[in-house]
Amino acid sequence: MERRACRRRALEPICIPRPLVAAASLLVLAACNASPEQDLVAKGRQIFFNETFQGNGRTCGTCHPAENNLTIDPAFIATRPPDDPLFVAEFNPDLRKNFENPRLMRQFGLILENLDGFADLDKKFVMRGVPHILGLRTSVDSLQGLRTGWSGDGAPGDGSLRSFATGAVIQHFTRTLNRIAGQDFRLPTEQELDAIEAFSLSLGRQQDLTLPLPLKGITPKRGQEIFLDNSLGKCNRCHVNAGATANFGGGSIGNANFNTGVENLPDRPADLSGELNPPDDGFRTPGDGTFNTPPLVEAAESGPFFHNNAIETIEGAVAFYDGEAFNNSPAGKLLAAADPNGVGIELDGTQIVAIAAFLRVINAIENIRQSVELLESSRNKGIARRAEAKELIKRSLNETQDSIRVLEAGGLHPEAVARLREAQALAKKAARNLLFRDRLTKQAIEEQNKARAQLVEST
Amino acid sequence: MHKLLAGVAVLGLWLGCLAQIQGQEMTEMYIPIGQSPGVSGRSSLVGAIESVNVQNQTLAVSGPSGIQAIVLTDRTRIWLDRTLARLPNQIGTLANLQKGLHVEVKLRDADQKRVAEWVKVQVTESGAPARKP
Repeated sequence: MERRACRRRALEPICIPRPLVAAASLLVLAACNASPEQDLVAKGRQIFFNETFQGNGRTCGTCHPAENNLTIDPAFIATRPPDDPLFVAEFNPDLRKNFENPRLMRQFGLILENLDGFADLDKKFVMRGVPHILGLRTSVDSLQGLRTGWSGDGAPGDGSLRSFATGAVIQHFTRTLNRIAGQDFRLPTEQELDAIEAFSLSLGRQQDLTLPLPLKGITPKRGQEIFLDNSLGKCNRCHVNAGATANFGGGSIGNANFNTGVENLPDRPADLSGELNPPDDGFRTPGDGTFNTPPLVEAAESGPFFHNNAIETIEGAVAFYDGEAFNNSPAGKLLAAADPNGVGIELDGTQIVAIAAFLRVINAIENIRQSVELLESSRNKGIARRAEAKELIKRSLNETQDSIRVLEAGGLHPEAVARLREAQALAKKAARNLLFRDRLTKQAIEEQNKARAQLVEST
Repeated sequence: MHKLLAGVAVLGLWLGCLAQIQGQEMTEMYIPIGQSPGVSGRSSLVGAIESVNVQNQTLAVSGPSGIQAIVLTDRTRIWLDRTLARLPNQIGTLANLQKGLHVEVKLRDADQKRVAEWVKVQVTESGAPARKP
């Protein structure tokens, strides 16, 4: 008869078989055995989402929320309570003027930045969207130098990603417009900067895709062809493998800045609002009109698009490159100069939609990859760390919801969407169920993989 | 093909200009002396002003490794660090650089001519420039 781990039934109401105790102990040990790098990432996550740096209440996560792909948009903003620190300009008298424009924030997801100095706060500012910070590992350490933020020059100090948080605290976390360190905020410590950098670099993809992918579906497949065609879509010139690096035929030039003419778009929503919206001159002061190239794998889930949130949909963002603003810009003219027929980018409606469909599908594939990774991680957490496991499942659910959203909005792969919904339902059950959590999580992973198989041939 | 190569050459030249990326200048102004991330304690010079030559736009700063000559240009930013006085930092001028003042100087990257990208000058509680602590 098997010996029991309990001594007396009166003291131990539940008798647990010894092998089970041993197995659980091993699981706990395995779960606790994090590397120094993982510890630093975990510390960075904690700081990123919770540390206010004794400022106005904002954290990095206020504008880069985990549940919204680390960015904000009007739909997400509309879900926030009135006392959310995002709206601090609406309830803190010291920040009521010249800190944010609440109307442009709520309607278009725009944040105020004083990139050309703090000398004339009434007139000198720019309104920018919040870039997602996924896949930074693939873009930030460019051969052309360090790149942070929309214009590539977002960090003080040495201009590195590590230094970025210091500038963000000064610009966005301050209690008053005096911006006095030690009074209106405290600056991040060296250790905090290390941790935030490690966390930021851990987000999303750690490497670029290798295109072409063996995609299924006529439209996304054609979209990929156009994307890669250097005489038609020409997208792959500045977004190699749908990432954020450029290659004009002589090897990768890394993540680069371009003037694509976004500032010359007619009828930009923020301008139509009637609010003061000064032109944004991009990189450096005075600016040279260039902006940094963002990665495209995560694009479909993270609109609105461009530094000024000028375009709401991924289809509209692709169509931008067919328009006059782009083709008359320095970047558009460069492409035209390299074209045998002197054409920049000339696409028809079906081609625009096809490229967007391709971007939607690769976004969903990335969502699935992350969902599976998070679910697998949750399975490794063991019984003692079930709160962490639930958190991982929750993050996986966000990814799954994104994959459903980007596919559905493009009318793509309904069979895959059905599988993803099933995976979502199973993961929700797993989050609630302690006894069968592992089995349900495993089933959710299987459904994710089946969904993926609808999008791309297995390699 | 020639057009493509020409385009690439133009792009290369243009990107070459961008290669010397500097930190964002605007928020840097609000970072107290000695706390600039990735710069202070690594590549900047902290010390006291030994002499100033306004005509030649040069500065001599006495730091831990002796006196160093610094070149100022029209592009050099000068900021008054008033953090200790609990006052907002301000844009300064050459006139604010005086002998004995405590300063931090960031030199342009890979620059053999020791040209300053920015100079921060510490200011005391009275609002007057601070001597070396």
